[in-house]
Amino acid sequence: MPRTDAPPAADRSPAAALAARVAALRAGDRATLARAITEIENELPSAPALHAALREHAGHAHVVGITGPPGAGKSTLINALVTELARRGKRVAVAAVDPSSPVTGGAVLGDRVRMDIGIADNVFIRSLASRGHGGGLARTTPRVVDVLDAAGFDTIVVETVGAGQSDVDIAAFADTSIVVSPPGLGDGIQAIKAGILEIADILVVTKADTPNATRTERDLLDMLRLRARKEGWRVPVLCTSATTGDGIAKLADTLDEHARAAGIGRRVQRTKDPAVTPLPADRNEALRILASRDAFVRHCGIEFVSGGAGRAAVRMRVGHEHLNFNGTCHGGAIFTLADTAFGLASNSHGVIAAGIDAHATFHTAVRAGDVLVAQATEASRGRRTAIYRVDVLRDADLVATFTGTVYVTTRGHA
Amino acid sequence: MPDPAFRPKVLITKIGLDGHDRGSRIVAAHLRDAGVEVVYTPPWQDIGTVVKLAIEEDVDLIGVSSLATDHLIVPKLMRALRDAGAGDVAVIVGGIVPDADEKMLLDAGVARVFHPGVKLEDIAAYVHDASATVRTQRFPVTPNA
Amino acid sequence: MNKPLPHPVPGSTAEAQVRWATEYAAQIGRDREVRNRSGIPIKPLYTPLDVDPARFDADVGFPGQPPYTRGIYATMHRGRTWTQRQLIGLGTPALYNARLRDILDKGATAVSLIPCNSVFRGYDMDEVDAELLGTCGVVCNSADHMATCLAGVDLARTSCAMNDPSPFTLLAFMLDTARRNGVDWRALSGTSNQSDYLSHFVANHMFFRLALGGARRVLIDHIAWCAEHLPRWNPLSVVGQHMQQAGATPAEALAFTLASAIQYADDCVAAGMSPDDFLPRFTFFFDISISFFEEIAKFRAGRRIWARITRERYGAQDPRSWRFKFHGQTSGVDLTRQQPLNNIARVTAQAIAGIFGGLQSMHTDAYDEVLSCPTQFGARIAVATQNILREEAHLTDVIDPLGGSYYVEKLTDEMEAKVVAIMAEVEAAGGMYAAVESGFVQRRIGESARAFQERVDTGEQTVVGVNRYEVDEDASSRPALAKPDTALMDAHRADFARYKAQRSQDDVERALADLARAAQATGPGRSNIFGVIVAAAAAGCTHGEICGTLRRELGFGHPLVVV
Repeated sequence: MPRTDAPPAADRSPAAALAARVAALRAGDRATLARAITEIENELPSAPALHAALREHAGHAHVVGITGPPGAGKSTLINALVTELARRGKRVAVAAVDPSSPVTGGAVLGDRVRMDIGIADNVFIRSLASRGHGGGLARTTPRVVDVLDAAGFDTIVVETVGAGQSDVDIAAFADTSIVVSPPGLGDGIQAIKAGILEIADILVVTKADTPNATRTERDLLDMLRLRARKEGWRVPVLCTSATTGDGIAKLADTLDEHARAAGIGRRVQRTKDPAVTPLPADRNEALRILASRDAFVRHCGIEFVSGGAGRAAVRMRVGHEHLNFNGTCHGGAIFTLADTAFGLASNSHGVIAAGIDAHATFHTAVRAGDVLVAQATEASRGRRTAIYRVDVLRDADLVATFTGTVYVTTRGHA
Repeated sequence: MPDPAFRPKVLITKIGLDGHDRGSRIVAAHLRDAGVEVVYTPPWQDIGTVVKLAIEEDVDLIGVSSLATDHLIVPKLMRALRDAGAGDVAVIVGGIVPDADEKMLLDAGVARVFHPGVKLEDIAAYVHDASATVRTQRFPVTPNA
Repeated sequence: MNKPLPHPVPGSTAEAQVRWATEYAAQIGRDREVRNRSGIPIKPLYTPLDVDPARFDADVGFPGQPPYTRGIYATMHRGRTWTQRQLIGLGTPALYNARLRDILDKGATAVSLIPCNSVFRGYDMDEVDAELLGTCGVVCNSADHMATCLAGVDLARTSCAMNDPSPFTLLAFMLDTARRNGVDWRALSGTSNQSDYLSHFVANHMFFRLALGGARRVLIDHIAWCAEHLPRWNPLSVVGQHMQQAGATPAEALAFTLASAIQYADDCVAAGMSPDDFLPRFTFFFDISISFFEEIAKFRAGRRIWARITRERYGAQDPRSWRFKFHGQTSGVDLTRQQPLNNIARVTAQAIAGIFGGLQSMHTDAYDEVLSCPTQFGARIAVATQNILREEAHLTDVIDPLGGSYYVEKLTDEMEAKVVAIMAEVEAAGGMYAAVESGFVQRRIGESARAFQERVDTGEQTVVGVNRYEVDEDASSRPALAKPDTALMDAHRADFARYKAQRSQDDVERALADLARAAQATGPGRSNIFGVIVAAAAAGCTHGEICGTLRRELGFGHPLVVV
């Protein structure tokens, strides 16, 4: 990218504005960093370009994932660990993920309640809601970590929601994964055994000042014996107490050792984040990819036929699984087919459209073996809303008609 | 209609010396159920900590709960936010605030004071609106988007 | 439902019962489901069928005898009414002393002291925002300040309650005042209120931010020290009030309070004390909400459960160990900002519930407490309310006047069952200490708080002036509130700075070093921490210095907050 010699004040081009933001963020401006995370987290239209620009600078931080069952003391451990790292002169960022309510989408982000170290100047904590993404992380968390990495933090600690074995996601991008177990929790150990033990580079038993800690340590060591060593790294079991501070310095030392042994920034070298791969410009192809990402469409046996700006066609062969108690095709199945065409057509302009209203009229019965095609066309499209009409056809017969309205957002598809 | 995925993000906190946190907890839980992402703190936050937190978490709004005169230092918080360049964050106060002090708070830039007896849904509705206003100022829709 | 009752009421004809049931069903239309705040379903009518006469001695009995359902003393309020203890504390020690003498003149019979929130949080006045000083309590940071607060009070004859959480510096200052006045410590009576650190971690966090473990250790030392030196002093007041104010139902508040008392008693036994040495000095402190009969049943059930715990679990032999002594405070969260004078009616109803519940001492809230710290005008009405109820209303002529009411006896049984069930949950969670540490109790209370608020929001629970019978009010009709006099507070701060400069720095440093050593020491033979605090207070150490030293040595308490 050519460096411009034009006076910066006069240059309001998006590229220059972006460069200025990247520079400010890398120079340590917290407000710029925080705002960038908001953009990435909410997948605003500007996010892909911002992320791409920042990712150039990522790969230098030691990313530490911390996971474990609820109540294991993760936040308290992180507070103690981050305090120790800060004492050693490191700049540390924490991304703390809490679950979103599956019903309302809201969340209480309370992890930093236990992180007193958050007041320190060389520590930056950001709370993130999981926003319905499985695996203990939000979908955008890996990108948020890239932003923190670009901002020059030495260590980035990612705390996941204590979701048990689904936390394996974290291993995909953390340089070091710590799995935390509280002492004496039979169930906790079971949860660990069931899956997340496999991802651990370091196992930590918290609350080592309580009676059952030693037994838990022994149980974990027994379990590790059954497991193959990770390439050149013997997984240690460390006992820590945030109350007495015991074991925290040792944990910090072990993190350094693991970083040396396994390297850091692997995620940046290894993969391009698939989630940020832009959709192709060809609308037909873009809609085919969107349809392929739709779990419900797959479940119902709906196939993508074709699409373009403001239009889409999909097809479904009616099977016995689509029938109602009268032996004819369930209205919900026909509605789903029409709704799929509606969804693709309305999302064909490169920004997310969210359905807010739909209505269907059924004209004739459909039986098993019939092949239905739904064709959606754009009836009108305004700045905020757009209306679509969908015809569901069996060969030339009009089986159902459907109309739907969407709210048009400004965000692009991931 | 707000973009459904762009959720309001707010900070619910208590500054000063008092520890009665029933109100802040109820409001935080209700806002969660109203689709808001709530950063929650225990009582006794320093003003400097609240400012750092508001900036790092990039919240749209700060709700300060005050049951025992802690609202008297809210003007200090407003100054500190402005000094840190975070003057665009909406600040609301809820709890026991005498009438004379309410005027003092509004003069200091507080957006709204909620008194005992207010309905939770009214607080949530206000928070959604105020958050959307702040977000629109921060992320104006650009024509090429 | 129009079906005959299964059993006839003794002494009644079955026909009368059936007729009532038929007429009730016909006239009520669609009956609504009624539950009290604790979730117990309430029937429209109670009859002798709801009580078992064969269990009279076991469940009801006589006042002054186990199970104490009807009262812990044989004479109860007919002999001696409750102690009228108004919590006050405003501004400087001199202002406090003036207000204290005023309410003593107007009928209050005991001293109470609420310190400023800065004191609650463990700081001296030079460590906090000046705007917040003295707005909610008295700024008492040293033995000298306490001497001013209590000037003119006969400490040998006046019961003193200090809102004095761990590490109990206010009591240490008061002991110094007694020494200066030549009063024998053994004659001092009163209570260390707010000594129940678990309740603070659960509900309103007015502890000194000593970590849970540190608070536990200081409290047990405090109980042991008082048992030895202050025979008439209650070193522990187990508090249900915070939890109920924070949203616990009355049954939850009682259950968690009793579970806390068990935790403290277990800790005392573990420290080598004998139950009859400390149980007689355990006291309780409860909220009295406006759910009238429920509160009465709560107190009656509490007496019965405590008598059983002390006798069966701890094997206590001394009847004083079995008695469930409690202070009641009318509930502030029931008061409304709208039409504040209505609060006088609410406080009256709450206070009657407390009196019929058999309390030993009472604080009635001022009607304007919901607007700010109470005015003197409001505080006087609160005192007058108690005087009227005690001396005009004939409430105290009969002991346990609602005893034998089919409803009240049945409700007492049901509250007891509910409370015992919640206590079993705490026990299963490892006892109250563990249940607080894990957030179990906080979560439970948080859920109840929200459920109640939602009932108010939907109008299911009427709150007059808030969700029904609202009137347009002229805000100017609300009482004008006195602001703390900033000039007086500035002078108080200047005095304090002078005091700190003039005292013997060597004595202070030595005393604080002793305190740090006592806190570090473990194992048998270590000094009693509270004894060292008493010495530090006498040596001129301030509240903030003592608390700061202990915070350093015993750890800073993180709030265990659960949303």
